[in-house]
Amino acid sequence: MKKIAAVAVKELRQIVRDPLSLLMLLGLPAFMLVLYGFALNFDVRHVALAVQDRDHTAASRDLVSAFVNSTYFDLAATPAPGADLERLLERGRARGVLVIPEDYGRRLAAGETAPVQLLLDGADANTATTVLGYAGALVAEANTEELRRTVVRATGRDLPSPIEYRPYVWFNPELSTTQFLVPGLMGVLLMLTAVLATALSVVREKERGTMEQLRVAPLRTAELILGKTLPYLVISLAAAVIILVAARLLFAVEVKGSYLALLAATLLYLVGALGLGILISTLADSQALAFQGGLLVSLLPAVLLSGFIFQIRTMPAALQLVTHAVPARYYLVILRGVILKGTGLGPYWDQMGALALFALATLALASLRLVRHEG
Amino acid sequence: MYVLWRIVVKEFLQLEQDRRMIPVIFVAPVLQLVIFGFAVNTDVSHVPIVLVDQDRTAASRELVDRFTSSSYFELVGTEASVSAIDGWLVAGRAQAALVIEAGYGAGGADGRASRVQLVVDGSDAGPATVALGYGAAVVAAAGNDRLARSLRAAGGEAGVDPAAPPRAGRTELAPRVWYNPDLLSRWFYVPAVLAMILMIMTMLLSAMAVVREKEIGTMEQIMVTPIRSWQLIAGKLLPFAAIGLVQVFLVTGVAVFGFGVPLRGSFLLLLLLTQLFVLNTLGLGLLVSTVVRTQQQAMMTAAFTMMLPMVYLSGLIFPIENMPPAIQYVTYAIPLRYYADIIRGIFLRGSGLDVLWPQALTLAVMGLAILAVASLRFRKRLD
Amino acid sequence: MAAAVELASLTKRFGAFTAVDRVSLVVEEGEVFGFLGANGAGKSTTIRMICGLLAPTAGTARVLGVDVARDPEEVKRRIGYMSQRFSLYEDLPVRQNLRFFGGVYGLRGRALAEREEWAIEMAGLRGKEDVLARLLAGGWKQRLALACAILHRPRVVFLDEPTSGVDPLSRRRFWSLIDSMSAEGVTVFVTTHYLEEAEHCHRLAMIHAGRLVALGTVAEMKSVFARQAVLEVRVPRVAEALDLLAGQPFVREVSAFGTRLHVTVDDEEEGRRRVLDLLERSGDVPAHAERIVPSLEDVFIHYVEAEEARGTPEAVRQ
Repeated sequence: MKKIAAVAVKELRQIVRDPLSLLMLLGLPAFMLVLYGFALNFDVRHVALAVQDRDHTAASRDLVSAFVNSTYFDLAATPAPGADLERLLERGRARGVLVIPEDYGRRLAAGETAPVQLLLDGADANTATTVLGYAGALVAEANTEELRRTVVRATGRDLPSPIEYRPYVWFNPELSTTQFLVPGLMGVLLMLTAVLATALSVVREKERGTMEQLRVAPLRTAELILGKTLPYLVISLAAAVIILVAARLLFAVEVKGSYLALLAATLLYLVGALGLGILISTLADSQALAFQGGLLVSLLPAVLLSGFIFQIRTMPAALQLVTHAVPARYYLVILRGVILKGTGLGPYWDQMGALALFALATLALASLRLVRHEG
Repeated sequence: MYVLWRIVVKEFLQLEQDRRMIPVIFVAPVLQLVIFGFAVNTDVSHVPIVLVDQDRTAASRELVDRFTSSSYFELVGTEASVSAIDGWLVAGRAQAALVIEAGYGAGGADGRASRVQLVVDGSDAGPATVALGYGAAVVAAAGNDRLARSLRAAGGEAGVDPAAPPRAGRTELAPRVWYNPDLLSRWFYVPAVLAMILMIMTMLLSAMAVVREKEIGTMEQIMVTPIRSWQLIAGKLLPFAAIGLVQVFLVTGVAVFGFGVPLRGSFLLLLLLTQLFVLNTLGLGLLVSTVVRTQQQAMMTAAFTMMLPMVYLSGLIFPIENMPPAIQYVTYAIPLRYYADIIRGIFLRGSGLDVLWPQALTLAVMGLAILAVASLRFRKRLD
Repeated sequence: MAAAVELASLTKRFGAFTAVDRVSLVVEEGEVFGFLGANGAGKSTTIRMICGLLAPTAGTARVLGVDVARDPEEVKRRIGYMSQRFSLYEDLPVRQNLRFFGGVYGLRGRALAEREEWAIEMAGLRGKEDVLARLLAGGWKQRLALACAILHRPRVVFLDEPTSGVDPLSRRRFWSLIDSMSAEGVTVFVTTHYLEEAEHCHRLAMIHAGRLVALGTVAEMKSVFARQAVLEVRVPRVAEALDLLAGQPFVREVSAFGTRLHVTVDDEEEGRRRVLDLLERSGDVPAHAERIVPSLEDVFIHYVEAEEARGTPEAVRQ
């Protein structure tokens, strides 16, 4: 124990002496949270829409105002007939153009189908998909109104809306992005800081030759690993706390479940991440390489393959298989449960098991590599 | 010029020596692109739903059909009572639950409204938003069909001319999506990866290459030679500009031939404007190197204070329109914003310089300014 | 003709810490000039100011008549510099290192090729042209670094601790290189903390805690002991004897060298008698107490102690 403490204290001293890196380790989480909180927003509103109304009837004006008053669309331009509509999209003046043809009002009055055209810039497929959904809903609503008006005209009595649609959103009723961001971000940041910090600190000792010194000392591999990782475990936990506090203060995200469950899952996750960091350090012998490697195996999978932003369901089968090796995937499920759904660890034993397996595997591999180097 | 040449040669020789950096430079981008190309897919489809049908009539089954026949939803289970859906959502086995209340089929005949609930797990806001929207559309369509039926039924009533039953006009939305007709999110993300890889490589490598010479002491040795600052800077940065250029070829090749992303504009223009962007990233890398002392600090500073904010606030992945107005102003200061416009313009929209000149001009001005500031900070002095 | 190096009240402060304190000296052309001091005495800082790497806080440095603060680039063209760590590209082969530094100094074509060959010959690296610098042993590395620094035939060469960490044989070979450079009229300004190396120098400066404490030829320096005698005393219990002698008024200086003590006294005969007397009474039986020729180390210790006696409080220097 004393030896572990000696290594740990030395490591802590070095961390504290390097305030820039410490600031990175602790300040980064809050910074990323703010960054993501502002940048990532699925609530697409105020889409710049150009309207070319060639009809100029009461009916066409109704449709236009239905679009513009919905808050989904902002009227960006009213190009004259014959204007180059593609230019409008290409230059980014508008995301979409609503074209209402000359006979729109007449056809509608005659009870016919009246087509209107929506030209969309599909370069940003996500926004375009959402916009398409909005436009469809607006047109459906307009059709409902038209139907009811016709019924009233024909029969003199009003029909109530036939189906009542009641959407409920559980766990995150406002569908706020920050709510669902916090678990994902914790997964990403803890992985990133834990892997990078440990990998770099070990490789730095290799580069400076102090690793050799440590090896000569009567330290067992396990003691060395524990001593080197414990400080980063503490710092990473501090980073987790900072994320939670920042999320609460800035975005009013609260932990609905138990902190104990949160701590247990986080510890398990971090042990795996630290193991991964050491494993990388046994493979890389320059800091540049360790950094690149660390980024590649920590940040990339945690962002891309964990289901954080991009759903695992929609990936090709082969890639879905790969995601099973990404610890962030399991951690994310647990965190979303504990933070947003307010559950305990009960439903998540498989995930906890997977995390434990990952931690064991990385630690075992790292120790094996370290021992081999000694021999 | 000869001095410059010697530095460039030296950088390449060193790169060749560091064999492990070669895969990092040339294989990592392709790997990243492949993972991105496959993983990053925000097309919402097959949202798993669990069904609670308390009505069990032909009408309720018809509604379920409407849900499952769209590719947006996929039925993964049925439950008898509403209380059971909790387990499905908590464990994440289903992302939404469709509850058709008893009396739905009666259709208001007995004075009760037909009620449909859609319970969505909001812990993943993206698909939840889309599921809610499409759920609303499905239910609205079902409702409109019912209204139309009532209208036809009303046609048989007294006082209505049977020869000309009342018909309601119907607006039909004919969407036409330009540049990406199938709305593949991959087409949006893959060009973005090009920009990211380029930025990471050029900025990080240039920052580290300068700092490494500081660390190993050779910078001191170079500083006592009569070499001019601009020669040293140009000599150190040129190789990375060249590497960036090679990566453009590599990544564009994979994007076009591997992922079928169209390159509608001119590749030459892409190369040209890429150089303007690289001017910015190299300048920022150099700037980082003048602030830090060790490679580790260089990496951390470049990655976290430059690259991450740039990626998130450039509109490369997350649209700028959705950000708060104050943040939108910040994005104007980010070179990547303009490059994002450029690559999307050239790849998907086939834009030429006639459209992209404002972005190109901004990149050129910013790049020269950043390089000037970095060069001023970069003096041949140790203190 | 201008002096090779001319320092006038050269001063460098880092915050409250004064690394170099009003150093003035002149180095003539063709001299091998030794700059002596312990680690952290301010040697490297001084050399870096002369080479234009650091800006002086006060005072001036001139190299071949050119003020470094005014025209550092002109100075850089005329000097060669070899920094404390042999700053080579370890991941490049020998020849590429030479070619790079030659190129940076503006050599090209045939001139570069000639100098490359000369350097390989000079450093004894024939046959190792394509070996990575990393794989060279310390002595080879050191000579390669020197070769890189003098490829462009500088008239003044600054060597900062050129022999630290190099085996004695290589050290001797390195000093013979310096001697031959000097023979060709090149001025060599060399810092070291190996005192025995300083004997190779024509003239010496000693620096302690940023201050110049002595300046002159080796002989001049040793002459401070002309009116005093240095006795070498062999004694079994060195530490106790040191304490005992240090308190005696007749002992000018006393310092330990391994199992021996160097004791400086005013008069050889009387000093020897009193030393032996004292030690015998305390129970030590010295085998030996004879006069020796003072080494540079004795000289150095003499000047440092004199400087400290002048009363610069220790705390200020830290």
